[in-house]
Amino acid sequence: MTTTAKMTENGAQLFARLEGRRSLRDIEPHIFPDGAGPIQGDVVEFHGTEGSGKTETMYHLVTHCILPADRGGLEVEVMYVDTDYHFDMLRLVTVLEQRLGEDAKGEDSGAAVEPEERVRACLGRLFVVHCSSSVQLLLTLHYLENTFCSRPTLCLLVIDSISAFYWVDRSGGGESVAKQEANLRKCSELLDRLLRDYRIVVFATTHAIMRDYGHSAQADLAGMTPGPSEPTSSSSSWRQWSSSRASNFDKAYLSRAWQRLVTHRVLFSKGEVTKDRKQVFSAACTTTSTRGTKCSSFCVMEGGVQFL
Amino acid sequence: MVVLRDGMCPGLSEELVVALRAADITTGTWVLINLFTLFNLALLAIRRVLLAQHTAFPVSGADLYEDLLSSTAILSTGNPSLDKLLDSGLYTGELTELAGGPGSGKTQVCFGVAVNISYQLKQSVIYVDSTGGLSASRLLQMLQAKSCNIEEQMEALQRIQVFPVFDIFSLLGCLHHFRCVGLQQASAGGGSVKAVIVDSVSAVISPILGGKQNEGMSMMMQVAGLLKTIAKDFNVAVLVTNTVTRDGNGQLKAGMGQTWSHVPRIRILLQRLERPGSTCSSVRTATLAKSSRQPCHLKEEFDLQCWGRSEEQLYGMSGKRKLENTEPS
Repeated sequence: MTTTAKMTENGAQLFARLEGRRSLRDIEPHIFPDGAGPIQGDVVEFHGTEGSGKTETMYHLVTHCILPADRGGLEVEVMYVDTDYHFDMLRLVTVLEQRLGEDAKGEDSGAAVEPEERVRACLGRLFVVHCSSSVQLLLTLHYLENTFCSRPTLCLLVIDSISAFYWVDRSGGGESVAKQEANLRKCSELLDRLLRDYRIVVFATTHAIMRDYGHSAQADLAGMTPGPSEPTSSSSSWRQWSSSRASNFDKAYLSRAWQRLVTHRVLFSKGEVTKDRKQVFSAACTTTSTRGTKCSSFCVMEGGVQFL
Repeated sequence: MVVLRDGMCPGLSEELVVALRAADITTGTWVLINLFTLFNLALLAIRRVLLAQHTAFPVSGADLYEDLLSSTAILSTGNPSLDKLLDSGLYTGELTELAGGPGSGKTQVCFGVAVNISYQLKQSVIYVDSTGGLSASRLLQMLQAKSCNIEEQMEALQRIQVFPVFDIFSLLGCLHHFRCVGLQQASAGGGSVKAVIVDSVSAVISPILGGKQNEGMSMMMQVAGLLKTIAKDFNVAVLVTNTVTRDGNGQLKAGMGQTWSHVPRIRILLQRLERPGSTCSSVRTATLAKSSRQPCHLKEEFDLQCWGRSEEQLYGMSGKRKLENTEPS
């Protein structure tokens, strides 16, 4: 009885739900392997140390989602859950303005809509929520279920970052690991249900804060340079490959319930500084559906991420 | 955790609370999560009220942007080279970190920023001092260089409110007090508070880190969360100072580990300049280590004495690398 009382939706919403939300498979072919981009129900984890380009890549992907279709975007709505006050709206607007500006150059100058109006229209497709504790995150996800139900164009949930409450939860849970991970486990179970019922995509960032002392670096992989779709040795798991390629801070420390949800994992690391003093970053993507790793490099410019 | 109490919301009477407690349900989370088994309308009402009180609500991006445009202010530090690194100054709503070794000038920069905000911009500053390094006579000296009027100097000094803390618990208590009471009540100097300076945050946190204890990391993240909440909710610029260590390649990096490194929005590394022949130099280099607005690794040199000089001397010298006194132009 409660389920029917809670989930009243009109015919249009039911049709939209059954028809499915927009797929994000082609959102960024540079990062994701060919044909293995995130589809409905996928969870992408961005993992990396501080200053390795995770948030910039997130802005790049969010901009691509909220841009209108005539500017090359997907025109879908995005829900951005910000857990550590990390979200910089001014930076996102700079990236958005650059993308709108460079696309307009190819058109006639007699545009009917003002650039500010365009930016505002794009920002209308973005919703931002701040959470300050893991309990509030859990309650907010419960509340957002109604929002997902009533907005069929909302197909992306970004959680930046899901590891923000790790230490506070760990200390609050005392000696029992189950209690320490309880909130994150409940969030993961709720996300699992939201993914199955509403067919959304989740992007989450996690901070790399723990060293992985258990794996020795593999010498043959250490000499690899980033290139397009180089397959690694078939027996490598994510952790073995990453601990030799990136810095040692790649230990997966969040609860198993979260790790089971993740379908795509992108590892970010800082590369070297080029001759014209540009910092190069690299992203290595592994998925559960493909073998091997897709590597890509990018620089962060004024207008956002630029792939090399 | 949201503990259920009588009178919390219309349906929650004393008998209901007792009945729930008998069934071992004391927190609101259980009520919210087990909604599928709730047929009791009173419990559904409780659920609605708890959700309304304790969840965070989404804000449209356009409204958030409008809000930011109207409320963000940029506070100049008083030093043109530092301002260039910071993209014209400290932004309100953000946490900026100054990292440097001993004697690299972090406290002097904090003094300079406090004096500039209280004298030039005429706004209040809250200074949380955890090292005992605050010297009122140095602040007065900086103010005397800017103005000869005793009253103006005293007014500017009154706008700097100092809170001494010497361990992590008093720091947490202080920050909780700011958050609950509001910065206006906490600062006795009157006027609106525009900056909170914590010098230094590593002095109270480094002693509790390390080993296998988790409490230290948890308290560090609580401090981080409180500082960011204060910055955003009260629209102030937060400036903290930190020590430095060397990483595996011998490069300087900010202290307190990987977890803290994600916390500040902007990070500046201060270093002394090693110049042969000058032993007691007040010139420092500032390197931008982390920024969301400018490319990293920008370097600027500046003189710590620039805050102690008057306006004519400052602009006559272009503020950089002048050790000897020149004639004011």
